[in-house]
Amino acid sequence: MKSLFFTIWRKEMLDAIRDRRSLMAAMSYAFFGPVLMAVAFMAIINDAVSESDVYVNIEGAEYAPAFVDFLGSRRIFAGTEENKARDIDVIIPQDYQDKLARAEMINIVVRADYSVRSESSQRNRVETAIREYSSTIAAQRLTLRGISAEVIRPLVVDKQDTATKESRAALILGTVMVFVLMAIFFSGMNVAIDTSAGERERNSLEFLLAQPIPTHWLVMAKAGAAATFAFVGAVLSILMIPLVFVFVPLEKLGIEFSLSAVSQAQMIVTLIPLALLASILQLFVSFRAKSFKEAQTYISLVMFIPVAVIFGIEFSRVEHPLLSVLPVTSQHQMLLNTIGGQAINWLHVGVGGLVTLALTAILVWVVTRMLKSEKVIFGL
Amino acid sequence: MITTQGLEKSYKDVKALRGLSFEAKDGEITGLLGPNGAGKTTCLRSIYGLIHADQGTAMVDQIDASQKPLEVRRRIGIFPDKFGLQERLTAREHIAYFAALHGLHGKTGAEAVQKVIDDLGMQDIADRKTAGFSQGQRMKVALGQAIVHQPQNLILDEPSRGLDVMSTRILRELLYSLREQGRCILFSSHVMQEVAALCDRVVIMVAGQVVAEGTPQELCERTGQSSFEEAFVQLIGTEEGIML
Repeated sequence: MKSLFFTIWRKEMLDAIRDRRSLMAAMSYAFFGPVLMAVAFMAIINDAVSESDVYVNIEGAEYAPAFVDFLGSRRIFAGTEENKARDIDVIIPQDYQDKLARAEMINIVVRADYSVRSESSQRNRVETAIREYSSTIAAQRLTLRGISAEVIRPLVVDKQDTATKESRAALILGTVMVFVLMAIFFSGMNVAIDTSAGERERNSLEFLLAQPIPTHWLVMAKAGAAATFAFVGAVLSILMIPLVFVFVPLEKLGIEFSLSAVSQAQMIVTLIPLALLASILQLFVSFRAKSFKEAQTYISLVMFIPVAVIFGIEFSRVEHPLLSVLPVTSQHQMLLNTIGGQAINWLHVGVGGLVTLALTAILVWVVTRMLKSEKVIFGL
Repeated sequence: MITTQGLEKSYKDVKALRGLSFEAKDGEITGLLGPNGAGKTTCLRSIYGLIHADQGTAMVDQIDASQKPLEVRRRIGIFPDKFGLQERLTAREHIAYFAALHGLHGKTGAEAVQKVIDDLGMQDIADRKTAGFSQGQRMKVALGQAIVHQPQNLILDEPSRGLDVMSTRILRELLYSLREQGRCILFSSHVMQEVAALCDRVVIMVAGQVVAEGTPQELCERTGQSSFEEAFVQLIGTEEGIML
């Protein structure tokens, strides 16, 4: 019986590997997921970290040279020919010096389109600089009147960040893990469709089912072939992560990122049951379809569920004890903990794996029953 | 040997088989002849156990297909109604796959495959991928995968559709040589000339029932017609060949 399994598995693998187009489609997902994330991170980091010069229109600079100098010390300059000013106007009133001398309130106008999101950090920097200068003047005035500047600062926030470097990394790199999980669901998809709905479309299903093969071995071998692809996709994306993140300057964000070979191996082992479940689920759906196209439609609808779950949890950060033993979520938690450098609850991982495998076994049984029904075989 | 006894099968509102009984002996070519929609394919499918008859039994070498489908499938070679090829495999890999499913691995498997390739005269296409094969070449591959395990019984569902003269000859030679080896060959067709030329015995079925059985010669004599075609038309009782 074992040799039957390997005969079918080997044939499906050969068939799938020769299908270059779907092979590329499958693996490119696993490959480009981490690369895409790395590129996105590079952009975010450069934007967040680099204190680049901000060029704005400064009207009435001549009325307040000291103020303009201060802005300059905060790297905010008036726009010039080479460095075009942004659409942010800083308007200094004509009576600046008079009001300053009389200790009256001075309105500095910051005029900009506050709905332009790309300039929000620049607007913030301008406003912060003005507030800073304002409190400097206030402090000096109080000192002149013999009052300590501390009088107007009754409460001071003392920020003590308990985030470890790893946990900060987890916050950001968690999104990468979403891609690893999605690679599982997408890398084996084409193979699963081809081996089920494709087989029916080619009219080769009837002959195959009329061979002396116990149906459950046929189902397991086909699911096994699709799962192999799903698994290879996941392994590829896990191996890609440390490679591509070498190029991302994560240390600028104070994030220390390292993924040891042992952690990678642990992640890979954890994902095996999920690859099996994803593939049998895809077989279950696409054996019901009459053609390749139809199967693709159904599968993309069904695959939406795990993807929605992963994204939902990733962004809402819901927590519930059940989540740590359910398929998809338990594996997701394990990946997150690994990358966050937290202790991994192997009991949860184990139970999650068993639940996943049990669900896989049930689906194998269901698909086997389906393939014994005339309706499904002949697409009646 | 293949026997059916009182096979009955109905789909929702259509009764495909109504107590079909016949026998196909070893060392003979038996033709299952009937107009379109007579239930030929349903009958063959129930012999290899993909369709479960509501009533009656289908036996291959005295083994009931509904009881032990795997045992039955080991003893038959099938040329199904619809045969699709794995287009990314070569003809040789294709046949070897099904040989392996019948337990022929390694050297034994390779030899069995080579024998079939030689028998069917497909050396020139053996190592080409089956995508783009002509109808005749596809038929050879389908025949090859059906007989690679040297089954005692061979079931063919309209094997000669879409074949040119040369391919039909190869098919005929193959069936004759298998008959010489004492195998049981059952094939369905709606083309009476083919059946008359090829078969030792003919089973004429209409609307899920056997209406006549015998050698083409006997059927002509029984109906008093000189040609087999006239005999067939008279037996199925309508000129169009469609009857319910």
